[in-house]
Amino acid sequence: MIMAEPVPSSEPEPSAPVDENELVRGARGGDLAAYDELVKRYQQRIYATIYHMTSNHEDANDLAQEAFIKAFQALKSFKGGSSFYTWLYRIAVNKTINFLKQRKNRTHMSLNDIDFNAEHDPDMMALISDQTPRRAAGLTELQEKLNAALLKLSEHHRLVVVLHDIQGLSHEEIAKVMECNVGTVRSRLFYARQQMQGFLADYLKPT
Amino acid sequence: MKENENNFESLHRLLALKRHETPPPGYFENFSAEVRARIRSGDPGRMESLSDQLPWLVRLISAFEAKPAFAGAFASALCMLLVFGIVFAERPDVAPQPLLQTAQFGSPLAAAAPVALSSLPAEQPALIPISSTNPVFNTQSSDSWFASQGAAVQPVNFMLPGN
Repeated sequence: MIMAEPVPSSEPEPSAPVDENELVRGARGGDLAAYDELVKRYQQRIYATIYHMTSNHEDANDLAQEAFIKAFQALKSFKGGSSFYTWLYRIAVNKTINFLKQRKNRTHMSLNDIDFNAEHDPDMMALISDQTPRRAAGLTELQEKLNAALLKLSEHHRLVVVLHDIQGLSHEEIAKVMECNVGTVRSRLFYARQQMQGFLADYLKPT
Repeated sequence: MKENENNFESLHRLLALKRHETPPPGYFENFSAEVRARIRSGDPGRMESLSDQLPWLVRLISAFEAKPAFAGAFASALCMLLVFGIVFAERPDVAPQPLLQTAQFGSPLAAAAPVALSSLPAEQPALIPISSTNPVFNTQSSDSWFASQGAAVQPVNFMLPGN
């Protein structure tokens, strides 16, 4: 089974659970410095998840900030049944899905630039090599087509693709975030990938 | 499962492009400070979803989206209510009452009244339109009211000294 590649990130991995619990306890007591540390720890992953769901930087910025604000306000209700990370993800994901449902059919892409490393990534080069059916397709065009294809998926199907294939979460972690069973995650992922393949057939190499 | 994963290998490579989409440089340096500032100011944010403010409205909209028949029935009921309201509003089931001034049937101003006076009973007071062009006066004699009250009315003449 091919697992998704880990998300390249400069942020530190969550440290020992004890530290995180201490930060959560401090934040629950109104310590904004402790909460600031939690925000810094998860800001990139939360932002990235929302950005990949909305394909819009401005919306992702606002939603990510509001997810952290809502989490701070709701900290008193956090019982610790799941990790803070899963709980925070759930808030961000629910907020994003509600937002997307309200904005149904009124999506507007505002894409971030592709970083410099992409041009040196062998996988990326392979995408625009002469074996690709659309040889003239540059990375920017591929980026637009890829985002447009993602936006065609339903919110829940898009979410499993984003969390698993882009963010690198396991099926079990996704099931906890989405509050469903692992089988549902697997079936949604398979269906979503099939749909994506159909949307992007012109840009995928035949296997 | 392995076969399925192999089928999606090409898609995985394409999806890897998403990981190279990064926000503007320095974006995350101020992110936590902005969150902290908004928490301190109590700003709920412009994106605060409708579901947080009006959850019943979101549930209603969701019900309409899920069941178009329900939406159609709701719209039909609203239209029927509207038609019912219009029909009953236009029904003249209450006779107009004199509000400002009354006049005996047969007064000179009765002819100017806009209603068909001949259709009214003789005792029915007619509504007299009052405007700047119609002089206002009382057609009843002054003593008739006193008579009806059972009071004796006598003309009084005041003589001023020196006259």
